Amino acid sequence: MTTDTEFQITDEMKAQIGVESEPWEYEVTTTSVRMYARGIASEDPIHYDVDFAKSQGFRSIVAPLGYVGTPVYLPGKTDPTFGFPRREGGPRLNIPFKGLLDGGTETEYFDVICAGDVLVETSHLADLKLRDRPGGKMLFVTNEAVYTNKATGKVVAKMRLTSIHM
Amino acid sequence: MAQVYFEDIQEGQEIPQLKKNCSTQQLVMWAAGSGDFYQIHYDKDFAQATGLQGLIVHGALKNAFLGQMLHDWAGQKGQVRRFGCSYRGMDEPAQDIVCRGVVTKKYSDGGKHLVELDVWTEKPDGKKTSPGTAVVALPGKE
Amino acid sequence: MAEQTHFEDVKEGQELPEITITPDKQQLVKFAAGSGDFNPLHFDENFPMLKPMGLTENIVHGRFKYAQVGRAVFALAGYKGRVKNFGVSYRGMDLLNKTITVKGVITARRQEGGENLVDVDVWAEDADGKKTTPGTATVALPSRG
Repeated sequence: MTTDTEFQITDEMKAQIGVESEPWEYEVTTTSVRMYARGIASEDPIHYDVDFAKSQGFRSIVAPLGYVGTPVYLPGKTDPTFGFPRREGGPRLNIPFKGLLDGGTETEYFDVICAGDVLVETSHLADLKLRDRPGGKMLFVTNEAVYTNKATGKVVAKMRLTSIHM
Repeated sequence: MAQVYFEDIQEGQEIPQLKKNCSTQQLVMWAAGSGDFYQIHYDKDFAQATGLQGLIVHGALKNAFLGQMLHDWAGQKGQVRRFGCSYRGMDEPAQDIVCRGVVTKKYSDGGKHLVELDVWTEKPDGKKTSPGTAVVALPGKE
Repeated sequence: MAEQTHFEDVKEGQELPEITITPDKQQLVKFAAGSGDFNPLHFDENFPMLKPMGLTENIVHGRFKYAQVGRAVFALAGYKGRVKNFGVSYRGMDLLNKTITVKGVITARRQEGGENLVDVDVWAEDADGKKTTPGTATVALPSRG
């Protein structure tokens, strides 16, 4: 693995901060909400039973916290392991490190997300930070994403995602 | 693949092979797609505790690979009517699985041009692990 | 789902009910399925990146821990409450087959913009009590009146 103790954040990389990506659709379906709920071992019927969710005043089953839909998967345009879209327009960082860990996740909600919603996501690079670690460096990359309900045009959530490359 | 037509097919002909080699990641993706989370396909300790040597490929995934081979061959104008197989032998991840098919019969029935095939998956040593059959409707050149 | 919590019922310093989970490989594979993150780091003991990252075992997805914290925050809000935000940092790794406990403490009750808000410190800790995933959340709760 590449650990480069001399790695520095370049001006080219800093110039990517604020660069807005092309939009991408995220689908929230009954099947995907249930699969996510099973994935986090939640048994709350609000995530599974449509009739129950409606009886509680929701449009349909509710997305568990942290789930903002599944990005539409297109072979060749989507990363096959992580599922995120590799977009044509957007920030470009050439990071030489092979190690990747999650750094942090934050979600701000403006509405409840339910099955049946299609969200349009746009994101931009928000921050780059370099820290030392034994034998190398750690590059903290933070992206901010905005999720808009396609049907209503309203922003329903914002996420701030930090990953650590090392 | 160019569209195949009923008139061009001969009994005894082999259709294009489809070669697969499943990583553990692929087996996990199949679990996701199929909803079959049985641990013998990704948890080696679990697999061995059930008496298996190690991880094995889901039978239904091999069936799906055969379906993919037939779908690719039938083309946009063809239609896979029926296909199935038996899971006689086990296949492992990180090993080639070759999907093969041979035309056994061609006939017309009530305006439809039908082709029957023997299909199977094969290990690198030639052992047939999932023998089965299929019926495909093909377009005529008219 | 438990009874709805109302703004009048909560006090600063109050602890949230704990959530514990001991994720086995099947659970992490289900999370890969639900989240779309098929990184073999989380389920393949032969994944070549384990050693270079100083690991001998598969680790739990950060986002899985985020979701566990999310379950605790969602439970606090109830169906009539609304989660305004919640966030965590991944400070330590959690391993396969090890118990993770989610805990939380209410740090403030306040009213803002016509809403009854409750701030919480929430976190996931490993079996040794180390806070691997510290975070905070703000929840709007309904009033009884």
